[in-house]
Amino acid sequence: MVAPDGSEARDGSSAEVGGPPTDPAGPDAIAEIVDADTGEGELERTIGLSGGLAIGIGTMIGAGIFVFPGIAAGNAGPAASLSFAIGAVVALLVALPTSELATAMPRSGGGYFFISRGLGTAPGAIVGIGLWLGLVFASAFYLVGLGSYAGQVFLEAGIDLPVDPAVPLGVAFGAGLTALSLFGTENTASLQNGIVAVLLVILTLFLSYGSLDALGVFGTESTPERFFPPGGLLPVLQTAALVFTSYLGFAQVATVAGDIENPSRNLPLAMVASVLVVGVFYVVTVFVATSAFGSARLGEFGETAMVEVAREFVGLPGAIAIVIAGLLATFSSANASILSASRAVYAVSRDDLIPATASRINLQYGTPHVALGLAGGPIVVLTATGQVELLAEVASFLHLVMYGLICVTLVRLRRERPDWYTPSFRCPAGLAVAGVGALASFALIAFMRPASIGVGVAVMVTAYGWYRYYATDVELEGRFEHD
Amino acid sequence: MTDTTRPDDPTGTETDRPAVLVPLEVLEGESLPTGTAELLANAHVVLLGYHVLPEQTATEQAREQFGGTAMSKLEEFAGALADAGATVETRLVFTHDERTTIDRLIYEHGCLAVLVPNGTERVESVLVAVRGTVGIDRNARLVAGLFAGTDVAVTLYHVLADDETVDDAETLLNGVKTELVERGMDPDGIGTLVEDAEVPVDAIARHGEAHDAVVMGETDPSVTTFVFGMPSEQVAERFLGPVLVVQRERPADAAGE
Repeated sequence: MVAPDGSEARDGSSAEVGGPPTDPAGPDAIAEIVDADTGEGELERTIGLSGGLAIGIGTMIGAGIFVFPGIAAGNAGPAASLSFAIGAVVALLVALPTSELATAMPRSGGGYFFISRGLGTAPGAIVGIGLWLGLVFASAFYLVGLGSYAGQVFLEAGIDLPVDPAVPLGVAFGAGLTALSLFGTENTASLQNGIVAVLLVILTLFLSYGSLDALGVFGTESTPERFFPPGGLLPVLQTAALVFTSYLGFAQVATVAGDIENPSRNLPLAMVASVLVVGVFYVVTVFVATSAFGSARLGEFGETAMVEVAREFVGLPGAIAIVIAGLLATFSSANASILSASRAVYAVSRDDLIPATASRINLQYGTPHVALGLAGGPIVVLTATGQVELLAEVASFLHLVMYGLICVTLVRLRRERPDWYTPSFRCPAGLAVAGVGALASFALIAFMRPASIGVGVAVMVTAYGWYRYYATDVELEGRFEHD
Repeated sequence: MTDTTRPDDPTGTETDRPAVLVPLEVLEGESLPTGTAELLANAHVVLLGYHVLPEQTATEQAREQFGGTAMSKLEEFAGALADAGATVETRLVFTHDERTTIDRLIYEHGCLAVLVPNGTERVESVLVAVRGTVGIDRNARLVAGLFAGTDVAVTLYHVLADDETVDDAETLLNGVKTELVERGMDPDGIGTLVEDAEVPVDAIARHGEAHDAVVMGETDPSVTTFVFGMPSEQVAERFLGPVLVVQRERPADAAGE
């Protein structure tokens, strides 16, 4: 509740003419990290709880429901739902510490900001650059998914294409979305909220019907296959590592922490609730999918397996509904990730880890054109590779490194208690949750395929090398003022 | 009985001066329009510089790059207002949504009115549209606060509603006039005008052309967040002069959440 005199948080923002001048270059006290005026203006927070949930859910749901079920079931059988559940647990273990850190440092930049301030510049640089590229890989992955669904439109329309259109279409969407983010100044938040609401309605209907059917309400109960795949638990864990990309979105909420109203309440709620919501949807989706088809069959359907599942249940209308939902979901995931990637570029550039030019805003459009280019360019290139699983795993790898370090940051700050660390949300059993969260995050990486680990490590080494070359004199630990 | 000074005076600067919010998009090149300083010489001006950013841009990022420039422009305008006699507070806000920002500041500063910033060559006569009994008190506080003790002529204007007689309307306007006089305005400087018009907005804009500024109320009491895109803005677009939009009393629990 804001006092009617507006004195909280924004005090000192009004410079009475003739009064003491505010020093524009003066450092802002840590109490002002929220967004009070630094002599250069204050910041309006415009994203509420529903907006935060829409960002979290909208970013995540595209992958877990519309891209992964076929691939995951092909790898792990019905136990793929266990893989998704494992992912949800890991995500929750990280979301809670992230929430605490975000309420202590509600600034744009998310995990990068926490780690650079809590652990220092070198880990910060690795995570910051890693986050940018992690989001680039994630966006490329979503775009291939989007391309697959766009390709499915041609299939449903009975148009035979000589080549699989998924990758070319994904590339086209990538270029289009980048251009849109560069020049579009429309208010897209309400659109995003609407898309998420429509998706949740379609999915709830579809999954309720599918679950009832699978349980035998409408006829014969489907014979469940053996739950665990032949390899036992190992493929389940490998699949958990692969599909973890479906949970990357919750931390995106933290990247826009600077825009969230009432962050001490809305940030934790949005992060935790979005993980819980999508986790339940994922588990149920795999259950429904594997009850409709054998896992091997699902695996053959690939990225658009859910379309076939819907066709099996409700015929053509179902298939069309899922194609539309898939387009919306992968589109919103890709869009959200491109924007987050640009925020990540801004965050490292603000801290002088990369040249300041990278975060210049074009006054005419009001958009950070260089940062968006640094996001969109590599995204388009990576989309062109079409390597869905590699893209997903590298994205997960880079995020998991960040998540693990977020947990480490929490442990360190809880132990050392610097003066500035006054989170308004405290993670219950913080040290234990963060400890297990860190271990789980790093452990999940071990189950990825070697190629993904190789690419991920290469990115981290390069980021560290860049830091040694460019930014050794930057000191970020505990730094909160501008410039 | 007419003293409505709020005990929890928001700005801590409560005098007789009515608080008026002046929103300017400084980075879009919007500057203080001609005549604004003269119009608001007796006001407590809350000068809001704001810049609207698309969602893909962090507000922090824009502040870092443009904050200094915007603030110095704002200080320049604040200086001009203060030179004319106003007391001035400046606020600079980077936002994704101007309505949220304007509404928050109206609330935080307890602003009586928001100025739709258009220019005017002189400030000699002002049209005051009176809608009904609701909000008359705030209207009177604003008008008397701005123009009592000046040579500005005020015309009180009312458009007849369906079930209203001319006598009703004149009683209404005379009531306002009495209140203005009680607040220190010269009765000779206050005229009244009652009219039967189809579309009040058109009528106000048309009459406005014979005056230098218009004072009118917010339109729909159920809409709390709108300042622009409203009849007041339509009036401002056609009349092309400054329009002071009198704000309803903000309920105490509708704060910035």
